[in-house]
Amino acid sequence: MHRLRALLTPLTFGIAALALGFVALALPGLVAAALGLEGVALAFWIWARASSDPREALARWAWLRRPAMALWFAAALAAALPAAPAVPLAVSPPVSTGLAVVLEVPELVATPSAASRDPLAPMRLLEALAILFAGLELLAALPTSRPYPDHAGPLPNVGAWITGVLPAAGLLVLWRQAPLWTSAPLVREFASLALIFAAALAVLRAYSRRTWTASLRWLAACDSALAAMLIALDALPREIVLLLWFAAAGGRLTALATELRGSAGRRGALSARLWRLAGFSASACMSWPLLIAVGFPNGHFRPLEFVFVAAPVYLATALSLRRVTQVPERRAMARPDATRVLSLVGASLTLLIGPAALALAWWEGFEASFPAGIVALIPALLAAWPRAWLARETELPPVVRASVAAGATARDFALSVYRSVLVFERRIADALAALIRALGAPARDLHAGDAQEYLLFLVGVSVLALLLPLLR
Amino acid sequence: MSATWLALAPLLAPVLALGAALLLRAAQPQRPGAAGVVATLMQCCFLAPLALAIAIPDTLTPLRIALLAALALALLARDREDILQSECALKLTWVLAAAFALSWAGESLLTLAAGTATTTEQWPALALQLDPYGLWSAALAMTLIAGLVLLGGAPFHFWLADVAHGTRASLAPLIATGLQVSGAALLVQRLHGVDAFAQAASLVRGHLTIACVLALLGGAATVATAKRPERRVGLLASLQGALLLASLIATSDASALPLMRWGAHLALAMTGALALAHFLPVAAAPDAPAAALFRRHPYSGVAGAYAMLSLAGAPGTPGMSLWLQVARALVRTHHPGLLLALVVAWITAFSVAATTVRAAFGSPSTAPMPERAVPWPARAALWACAAGLAAMAFGVLGR
Repeated sequence: MHRLRALLTPLTFGIAALALGFVALALPGLVAAALGLEGVALAFWIWARASSDPREALARWAWLRRPAMALWFAAALAAALPAAPAVPLAVSPPVSTGLAVVLEVPELVATPSAASRDPLAPMRLLEALAILFAGLELLAALPTSRPYPDHAGPLPNVGAWITGVLPAAGLLVLWRQAPLWTSAPLVREFASLALIFAAALAVLRAYSRRTWTASLRWLAACDSALAAMLIALDALPREIVLLLWFAAAGGRLTALATELRGSAGRRGALSARLWRLAGFSASACMSWPLLIAVGFPNGHFRPLEFVFVAAPVYLATALSLRRVTQVPERRAMARPDATRVLSLVGASLTLLIGPAALALAWWEGFEASFPAGIVALIPALLAAWPRAWLARETELPPVVRASVAAGATARDFALSVYRSVLVFERRIADALAALIRALGAPARDLHAGDAQEYLLFLVGVSVLALLLPLLR
Repeated sequence: MSATWLALAPLLAPVLALGAALLLRAAQPQRPGAAGVVATLMQCCFLAPLALAIAIPDTLTPLRIALLAALALALLARDREDILQSECALKLTWVLAAAFALSWAGESLLTLAAGTATTTEQWPALALQLDPYGLWSAALAMTLIAGLVLLGGAPFHFWLADVAHGTRASLAPLIATGLQVSGAALLVQRLHGVDAFAQAASLVRGHLTIACVLALLGGAATVATAKRPERRVGLLASLQGALLLASLIATSDASALPLMRWGAHLALAMTGALALAHFLPVAAAPDAPAAALFRRHPYSGVAGAYAMLSLAGAPGTPGMSLWLQVARALVRTHHPGLLLALVVAWITAFSVAATTVRAAFGSPSTAPMPERAVPWPARAALWACAAGLAAMAFGVLGR
């Protein structure tokens, strides 16, 4: 009994809540998903209140109830609304697929009659938006939660890793509930824009962070955002997307775990090389179908969209290759170490799952046209190209040359961009909050709580009730 | 389960709430000896008519409702030493007297216009269009005021928050629920058969829709900003009033939300939630230790939390089934705007209740346990309410 009681600590309660939360997230149904996110939020709350600085930790992770609430909102609507009727679309289905849909003017077709119109369509749209909000917030794709991968979680020792599970929760929400949110009009397009922006910012932040553990958390968020884009664009069957994401983001989380165990993944030439190759392979495999879907919708090349997606892909792949530097052995003769073996197994799996998933996709009918397949490989191949050949200081454009000469680095640039976006978003949020406060302040000051005021208020409302019908 | 038992089941919830009120009274400091016991029993006797009104709302007539309101005011005003309670009594007297007067004036005008005081006979008479629109429409609007004020939906939610905050936990829930059920009964009786006169039905629905949207959104905004847990409970009860209003809009005879079941749930949930709220910190820091109740008796705290969550309509509680029932009725009757307001209010209520429960658990503390235990009658009251709600969730009560 005493031993059992010793096991019942905040750590074990939190782990149980997190595990049950992820099991619920994998189940179908919005209620299960909402319960799953409640489990994740509960785990972080339990750990935060037991941490060394509960005030800060509780305030930092309080936002985790927002995605759960968004899913409850969606679940409530789903429970109340009947199944959607088969209504003809007011907007013709897009000819092209992918991100290009956003930039195209939709072709209007005959408006459905009043009888065939679904009066509850706005409610269904809200339901889809609520699911999307929950997923995007966990993927650090919304301003409200953007900087969270910068922070270690509220657990001692493994706190740096535990934050990495949140993008996984976000992707699971979007993956499992995809039929509900991708069917709503324009939601996929909005999701694609938010996700590509989030991926670009995440990879810039990963680049600007000096510690590899923090960079790995951001790369996991970036990979999850790219995988969510594959779901939004419906570029591949969802099971294949999950496999590709498992290789990419799962590989980052495994690498992060080994990094926290004495950088076991980077000790020894073989291990470091294997992880480099695994990171490259996983990134390249996931980005390849995505670049095809975005850059070559309907066989036509879309350079603008292609570049928007290719840039973060290039940087993420380059980081996977160049930041995995070999760490010197601490002992003259390396001892057999279970962590190192697990690290090698993890790297091997990461290396193999990506190509296997692509092979499975091909088996299921996924095909790439001749130039698209080659062009989509270019960002990953460029990242693998020897660095010295790519960038020479003399070849820099004149605008950048002066800054570089003054000591500015590309990392400084990435950091500035990231911070500028954050400051901009925060200012907009502050302005909105100030506006709401300004509108709400008079309502709060309307009465002082005196009994006579209550009577006057009632009389005022009665007069209004009398006048309203007369004014009709 | 026998038919007699099922017939008696709805009566059990108000009886349980009355029992819980008795226990809460016993947990308060009392006069020594037999005088204390007599005072407790006297209070129970005075609360019994309110419990009866919750159990059988169909028997409420306007006269009985006025008498019930007078009884509630007398109970609030009795203890002159209690400043907060006396202030509640004063405010409620002002507001209820004016509301009843306005509604009575409206009823009289409507009787004058229709030529009969019987509600079901008034609609066909008015449908003949013999009277000017301005007369009967103004009269009809005035008849609704007492019901709306008693229901306690925003902007009339102030009295519920005041009663919950300023009145003792043994009195407040039954007084508040009794008055709310009375308000609902007034509205149901007033609208009985209104569909016979389409123009009046449309006018009433318009009024009630405005009132309901205001009650839902105003209540949600207020509950989200309330600082004191007791006021939050009062505001959650005001959202229950808004919920009933929504069900009246969906179906004018309140069949979307049976009054008996709604009242039974409200009585139990509010009693448990208010009993819990008195043990919660007002504005504790996030890292503050747990409330004394949760440190000494965490399971009793959880029982109270269940009542509060049910009052907010959290998933897994009988409160949620009420919200869902009304939401489905609104969908059936094509009220998407009202449905949206309902869902926004529900999510806010649920979020506030969950945050309150989290704050009650606080942070783990190494400080020594509070020396004095929470009195057992108070804990028994929490358990009684939780048991009643759990039974309701499983469909035993309030069928």
